[in-house]
Amino acid sequence: MKSKTFLMLALLALATPLFAAEGAAAGATNWVAITSGFAMAIASAVCGLAQAKAVAAACEGMARNPGASAAIRFALILGLALIESLALYTLVIILVQVK
Amino acid sequence: MAEHESWLTALFNDHLAGLGQAALALVGAHAENPQRPWANFITMQVVVALVMVVLFALMRPKLSVDRPGRLQHLFEVVYDFLKGQVEDVGVHHGQKYVAWFSSLFLFILFANLLGIIPTFESPTMFPPVPLGCAMATFFYFNIAGMREHGVLRYTAHFSGPVWWLAPVMFPIEIISTLARPLSLTIRLYANMYAGEQVTLAFLGIAPLAVPVAFMGLHVFVSFLQAYIFTLLTIVYVGGAVAHEH
Repeated sequence: MKSKTFLMLALLALATPLFAAEGAAAGATNWVAITSGFAMAIASAVCGLAQAKAVAAACEGMARNPGASAAIRFALILGLALIESLALYTLVIILVQVK
Repeated sequence: MAEHESWLTALFNDHLAGLGQAALALVGAHAENPQRPWANFITMQVVVALVMVVLFALMRPKLSVDRPGRLQHLFEVVYDFLKGQVEDVGVHHGQKYVAWFSSLFLFILFANLLGIIPTFESPTMFPPVPLGCAMATFFYFNIAGMREHGVLRYTAHFSGPVWWLAPVMFPIEIISTLARPLSLTIRLYANMYAGEQVTLAFLGIAPLAVPVAFMGLHVFVSFLQAYIFTLLTIVYVGGAVAHEH
């Protein structure tokens, strides 16, 4: 089984020159578009992690102290909106830069 | 950005082109196409302003302590909510500023929600409108701080708590204060623009039920962004007029 997998991978590696020919025929690569895809992915991923931390802390706080729910909810919403805006700054740069 | 004129903008351009050109000439600006000076976001802002004026004009004569009507109840809820936020943040003499906060909140809320109606667009989807709200807020909290403390003391409070940190603190504080209208603008604009683009994208992919979910999300985000803008304004005004105790 292992030798079959290696054979398949070797055949795929041999196929990569085909992609190069297509890319060159299409014109210069649009690096801005490629980079903006990665930039947005990284920004969204880290924003997701940060918001997850915020929500987890808020849930735990509300579970420990239900009386403070209103204050915790207020801090949660404020924090989420501010973290969200960081990912949106990346999106705005992309909207401005990508043709 | 949408080049297509909405029916309302076409109406304005057909009948009120002279007024548009005169208004632009007042501030020394030029329209791209002088025959059609009105842009979509200008006419939509006019709609929002008219809606607010008509709403308050209808409510004002019926205000009553003993027998409040439904509209009065609704606006009392909004007013109490904003006054509660001002007190939560702890603004010194906050009562003076609630008028600005509520005007800002209602304007941004109605502007955001206007996009849900089929042939209208949210004016906050275009960069100049959130920029205008943010610049107005920027001048408002700085002028509020200057009126509270005096111009020199207000500028001096950017230098931080101790005198020997002042050369470091002063540029940092100035830059962070200048960054506030920038972040307010981009937050509001990007949320509204992205919400509409996502709905349009899914309209192309799965036309029937899926865009409705995104429009619902867009409504929620409209309320949330109007609230966040107002809350941050309250925090900035609170910071500007704060007294060291």
